[in-house]
Amino acid sequence: MSISHPSPDPSSDNLERVSPRFQDRQDAFWSGVRDGRGAPAMVLFAGMVGFGAMGRTNGFDLWFTTATSFLMFALPGQIVMLEMILLGASSVTIALATSLTATRFVTMTATLFPMLHERDRNKVLYAKVHVLAMTAWAVSLKEFQTIEPKHRLSYFSGLGVLCWLISVPGTIVGFLIAGSVPMPITLGLIFINPLFFLLTFTEIKISGYRLAILLGCIVVPIFYLIDRDTSLLTAGLVGGTLAYWIDRKWIRRYDQKRSA
Amino acid sequence: MTILDSLYQNLDTAFAFKQGWEAWLALIAASLGTYICRAIGVKLSGQVNQDSEFFRWLSAVTYAMVAALTIRLIFLPIGLLSTVPLYLRVLVCLLALGVMISNPSRRLVPALLIGTLMMVTIGVIR
Repeated sequence: MSISHPSPDPSSDNLERVSPRFQDRQDAFWSGVRDGRGAPAMVLFAGMVGFGAMGRTNGFDLWFTTATSFLMFALPGQIVMLEMILLGASSVTIALATSLTATRFVTMTATLFPMLHERDRNKVLYAKVHVLAMTAWAVSLKEFQTIEPKHRLSYFSGLGVLCWLISVPGTIVGFLIAGSVPMPITLGLIFINPLFFLLTFTEIKISGYRLAILLGCIVVPIFYLIDRDTSLLTAGLVGGTLAYWIDRKWIRRYDQKRSA
Repeated sequence: MTILDSLYQNLDTAFAFKQGWEAWLALIAASLGTYICRAIGVKLSGQVNQDSEFFRWLSAVTYAMVAALTIRLIFLPIGLLSTVPLYLRVLVCLLALGVMISNPSRRLVPALLIGTLMMVTIGVIR
């Protein structure tokens, strides 16, 4: 990700926490597209290539595999759906299981969109939210801290739409080359997604959220053993709540004492 | 030329319609379910103050859930990745993390590339 941060302007240092980074909305939109062209789009493209390859090797057709990426645009859910169709699960069960893997979008959206400008928080967001996925969320959350509120939605749109549109050619490429490339390359492609998630965790600086990540990692094997399909939801709720509680009870108090 | 040959062979059958209506029905239901989760997030975001305690709790839950997803993908994978022994998966992750931490602001792509290439190498050796 070659993101050029503006050099800090000493004159506005104490007046405003966020110095102006973009001239207008168009500038912010295209900056989002530019930032997306680096690691986020590359990672997503690779993930979609892996998904397309999976569809081909499991006997799905090109139209169905590509429509899945376009309509769902959530890799974990897409993979769960393919597997369940192969197992012959009913539509209702499939919808329930994929929705459970998508519950992370509830919290992802609810944490990202309050950072937008008041004026942008209207009905249009219900259309724009479809392009929200893990990659765009992680990048936006980090970049929003240095972007003025009024330009944040444009930046997010540029980044998100690029990621969404790239998922279609990615899936098609994966579908067409599956079986044509050696197995090790496929192996590398499917490992990109988890690795990217893991690496973005190092960029989180708030200790309460770091603790949430750690606890999420620790509790998920336990819930996985109890019930596979709901383990993400339960691990998130239990690990996150525990981290929040510890943060509120001890960490924040300690920080206050130290700074006083 | 074997790659090109199999690509031609693939193209021969790639554009056929194979899925029945049950699969499409499942896709529509799954897409709706996924979209509804996104829409609920928008609905909630209108009522959540960024500095509120609820927002902090929600963020913690999200981070924990994303961490859980990552751990599941790495430690409890399905399909091709499960053929790679656990210790090798962990080793690749640790090395990529090491590259990342050495300069967090600009080593994301190198760390990703190294991790991916190591996974390809493991696939070649095995």
